[in-house]
Amino acid sequence: MSDVKKEFVQLLANYGHIGFTFVAAILIGLGGGIYLDQKVFDGRTQPWFTFIGLAFGIAAGYKSLLEILWRNKDKEKDQEKQEKPKEED
Amino acid sequence: MEHPILFISIILEKLGLPVPHGPVGHSLLEQLCAPYMTYTWLVMAFLFFVSKLTLGNLEMVPGKGQNFWELAIGGMDDFFSDNMGREMTDKFFPMIATFALYIACANLIGLIPGFMSPTSSINTTLALTLIVWFSHHLIGFKEHGLHYYKHFMGPVWWLVPLLLPIELISNLARLLSLSIRLFGNIMAKETLLAILFMLAGSFFAPLPIMILGVLVSIVQAMVFVLLTVVYFSQASEHAH
Repeated sequence: MSDVKKEFVQLLANYGHIGFTFVAAILIGLGGGIYLDQKVFDGRTQPWFTFIGLAFGIAAGYKSLLEILWRNKDKEKDQEKQEKPKEED
Repeated sequence: MEHPILFISIILEKLGLPVPHGPVGHSLLEQLCAPYMTYTWLVMAFLFFVSKLTLGNLEMVPGKGQNFWELAIGGMDDFFSDNMGREMTDKFFPMIATFALYIACANLIGLIPGFMSPTSSINTTLALTLIVWFSHHLIGFKEHGLHYYKHFMGPVWWLVPLLLPIELISNLARLLSLSIRLFGNIMAKETLLAILFMLAGSFFAPLPIMILGVLVSIVQAMVFVLLTVVYFSQASEHAH
């Protein structure tokens, strides 16, 4: 595989799953909130746990998004450090 | 989604075994004869016999077969050790490399007419995801003992009520996103191919999608393995 193609596939693997992870986090938060409202408290606390769950879900989505960004940033820094000494030679 | 022709199902039906017509059968035998199960076994047998045949006896000067495997295994080894370090790679290489080979083969096999991808069924991908999810928690408990809970607590104590639910939700989201992404991509590819084949198969309409299908298959296998590696290394790292 040529270098460009390899980089393309690697970029897809690194960033291609951001959207799905974001949605999954929001859905899990919302689902947990609805479950608490409807099943645990029998609808007595109706809208509140749903909203709280949704808020936590969105926060978790952003957290996983930032985690992906930070991870790749660290990796790029490491690569730059490894590449720099070679240039000085 | 009705698959056009699945030759293993036809052979099994001729042999008198019950092949379910819905997605899942009722009796145990019917469940075992479901297409995604039989094609899972086909991929397993393929990987087993091909590696056995090409790697029958290792030689110092590699032949064609051994050369291929050295390239594939060496590439994966570099990839894992870049992402999670030498020690972890040595420990978990057999498991993750098997996942990579299995998922890549299972994705690609669906491009051949008469075959289907076992990964286009949510049962297969969910099983793979559950293995990864439980083993990354096991690694965490093994490395840190009971202090593993600190991974879910955030940096300072007064942020715990805020960060604990967030961490738990994002951890559970891994389960959902990892399984549904692989399943969704591969099922979409299969369905699109089948529809295009029915609509304009004689004008080679599925060809461009097949080229995309090769890319999607490889990228999805790589995403799954990359995320497995990342989860494993995060579980073994120290908390913040």
